[in-house]
Amino acid sequence: MTSPAFALEALGIEKRFGATLVLQGADLKVRRAEIHALLGGNGAGKSTLIRIVSGDIAANAGAIRVGGAEAFDRGAVAVVYQELALLPHLSVAENIRLPRQRRPFEVYRAGRGDDSAAASLALIDPALPAAVLHRPAGSLDLHQRQLVEIARALHSGARLLLLDEPTANLTFGESERLFAILRRLARDEGISTVLVSHRMNEIRAVADVCTIIRDGRTVVDRIPLAEIDDDAIVTAMGQSRAVEAVAPRQSSAPEGSPSRLALRCGKLRVSLAAGDVLGLAGSPDGPMDLIGALVGVAPSRRWDVAFEGRPLRFSSPAEAVRRGVGYVSGDRAEKGILSTLPITDNVVAARRVARRTVLALADEVRRAETALRRLSIKAASVDVLPRTLSGGTQQKLLLARWLDVTPSILVLEEPTRGVDIGTKREIYEIVRRLAEAGTTVVWWSTEFSELAAIASRAVAFDLAGEPSAVLGAEDMTEVALARATGMAA
Amino acid sequence: MTDLSRHDMPVATAAPALPRRAGLMLRSLRYYRSEIAIAAAILLIDAVVSLWSPQVFTGGNTANVAQAAAPLVVMALGVLVVVITGGIDLSVGSTFSLSGMVAGLALGAGSSWPVAVLVGLGVGGAVGLANGLLVTFVGLAPFVVTLISYAVAGSLAFVITDGHSIAILDPDFWMLNGGALVPGIVNYLLFCLLGVAGLEFALRKLVLGRWVYAVGSNDKAARLLGIPVRATRCGVYVLSGLCAAFSSMLSLSYISNAEATSGGNMMLQAIAACVIGGASLFGGTGSAIGAMLGAVMITVIQNGVNLIGINSFWQGSVTGLVILVAVLIDRVTKARA
Repeated sequence: MTSPAFALEALGIEKRFGATLVLQGADLKVRRAEIHALLGGNGAGKSTLIRIVSGDIAANAGAIRVGGAEAFDRGAVAVVYQELALLPHLSVAENIRLPRQRRPFEVYRAGRGDDSAAASLALIDPALPAAVLHRPAGSLDLHQRQLVEIARALHSGARLLLLDEPTANLTFGESERLFAILRRLARDEGISTVLVSHRMNEIRAVADVCTIIRDGRTVVDRIPLAEIDDDAIVTAMGQSRAVEAVAPRQSSAPEGSPSRLALRCGKLRVSLAAGDVLGLAGSPDGPMDLIGALVGVAPSRRWDVAFEGRPLRFSSPAEAVRRGVGYVSGDRAEKGILSTLPITDNVVAARRVARRTVLALADEVRRAETALRRLSIKAASVDVLPRTLSGGTQQKLLLARWLDVTPSILVLEEPTRGVDIGTKREIYEIVRRLAEAGTTVVWWSTEFSELAAIASRAVAFDLAGEPSAVLGAEDMTEVALARATGMAA
Repeated sequence: MTDLSRHDMPVATAAPALPRRAGLMLRSLRYYRSEIAIAAAILLIDAVVSLWSPQVFTGGNTANVAQAAAPLVVMALGVLVVVITGGIDLSVGSTFSLSGMVAGLALGAGSSWPVAVLVGLGVGGAVGLANGLLVTFVGLAPFVVTLISYAVAGSLAFVITDGHSIAILDPDFWMLNGGALVPGIVNYLLFCLLGVAGLEFALRKLVLGRWVYAVGSNDKAARLLGIPVRATRCGVYVLSGLCAAFSSMLSLSYISNAEATSGGNMMLQAIAACVIGGASLFGGTGSAIGAMLGAVMITVIQNGVNLIGINSFWQGSVTGLVILVAVLIDRVTKARA
């Protein structure tokens, strides 16, 4: 019996959206039981390629073979989306079974059908079915939802999983668990995985092979990761290294400058001056508690916070903004961008709250244009709606909002999540400039390499959300952060 | 990042499933606990009313309430299915009026009453289909689409007879509402019970019902799962139109007079019935039994206001207050679940 050489073969794919040619000859070949990294900068066409090979949209040209067959078997290739794809009101069992229920007037029985859903969940984790099978999908956390999506794909007969930035919302420990599951599925079940990620260290940890696309073309076709170093990958993507390009980390604050922000929790104390960058490391609960207090959403359950010598107690986010605290939420789409308003309004949004002035339109437009130039944001004009911009560009736009008012404290949640390496570098540069101008930055990130490179101090939180350690610049390494957060032994 | 938003996650109304060995009875009680609470609230309202007016519990009054509630129950079932998909149907009141007028015209023109009923249902189905097509294939917002059909159907109800009402002269037409297809059970009751039981079964036990919830829960995800989102969505508007028309036929059969304003405030009552019954206007939740109980509760309140002798202008205020209480209770219990 001859098995086909590739589980998925996409050759010469072209795709045009209106006047723009998004893909112009992209190839992707994936072997059975292989974990394959698909790499490329923002806007290189990765997501479009994934949508095409999964059958979501049709290509304008090119050939796709699944399991060696010309006929397109939609079920064999499944995309695991971030948060989009579960039905929150239905139970996990129903979520897993629904794709296979095609007849509308069929009676939906629990019993045996649920057992088969449970079996699919058990392939991922034997303990999972008992824990979640009959719960509404909306009550699961992100990591569990992702596992349910994988189970659903397997239950529908998928042989190849497409994961677009699967770890963007996961903690370090959860990412590790996900990768272990993917490796086991490859080994035991022969399932292939295509992984899109911007995080080089995790790609190296889990993937066997990579394909690199740039400007809609495959520039590196199937090369084992062992045979290509990071520099070569970055060069192929058309970008240069992000973290290393940042100036060596140091506190911009002169010795003995007065404390702007003082944090106290039990024995742990941190005092930050103008120009300091404080990293927050660890699973969401701990950092979010502190961030909520800083930006006026809710008082902290754990921390005593003093702002410019007085206890900090903001009654609302508006008060925080007026007192000079800026905030870039990690939930860009829901809590950041004003998607129906043009760039101008997005840029001056913070200024309008902070200054409470009469709108001066000419001045606002000028400010927005300056921001676009300073941050090299590519947009036709300041009247463009943000939804037409890429994710990385939107993120820069959110930062521009605070550059415009130069806050005394700027709180950032995962500002580099889901942005490519080039934009990351620009964001590091923006933050560095803000710190030099005297802003105290509080930066939560799940990428420890980035904190280790940029922060002058860091608070690590353990898995329960309790602050476990304060690290100074000298002892801050990726490994030290992972240990202090309980994410690595 | 996502953590602040995690608390906004929609949470299902259905009780977290008990272990399978738990008795069917116990599981049903738990599954329908909010419906049981509504039923209890209806009895409570009646008990309060009985302090002023003891006849509230008499057989005669109960039959009155049931007769008055029947058309609203039927209409609410249709609206419910639309609401579960996350849509809204503002046109049901106008559809009610228009289909009643058209059926009245048909009877006046000499057609037999079953034919007239089919014609009336045809009008309802057509309005529903127009709504469904505009929502799914043109992609307009359900609120806008059904606001349009509310206006158009509402005006057509006047246009076709130049505003005159039509007296129904067919001597047998009363049987649709007041006859007994099954001996011992009057038709309006039979239709309501069949409708509620059939819809509840379809929603809970048929794949089709799961599709309806899936569309309301997350329509993008539903599409990615291969669920026929457009057909499902289009279908619920047709069903809603048909229910509104059948509701009108029951009412017409009882009142024997077709009026262009007859559906007037039923649309708001039908939506209110769904909301009282636990449906969320954001979609994804709601049950047929709940919608029926919501419709009954609204009727009971009206009946109570009449029996106590409060000026009937207060009915709307009392109903509004009850809706407020119902959603607040719903919110508290769901936040705790």
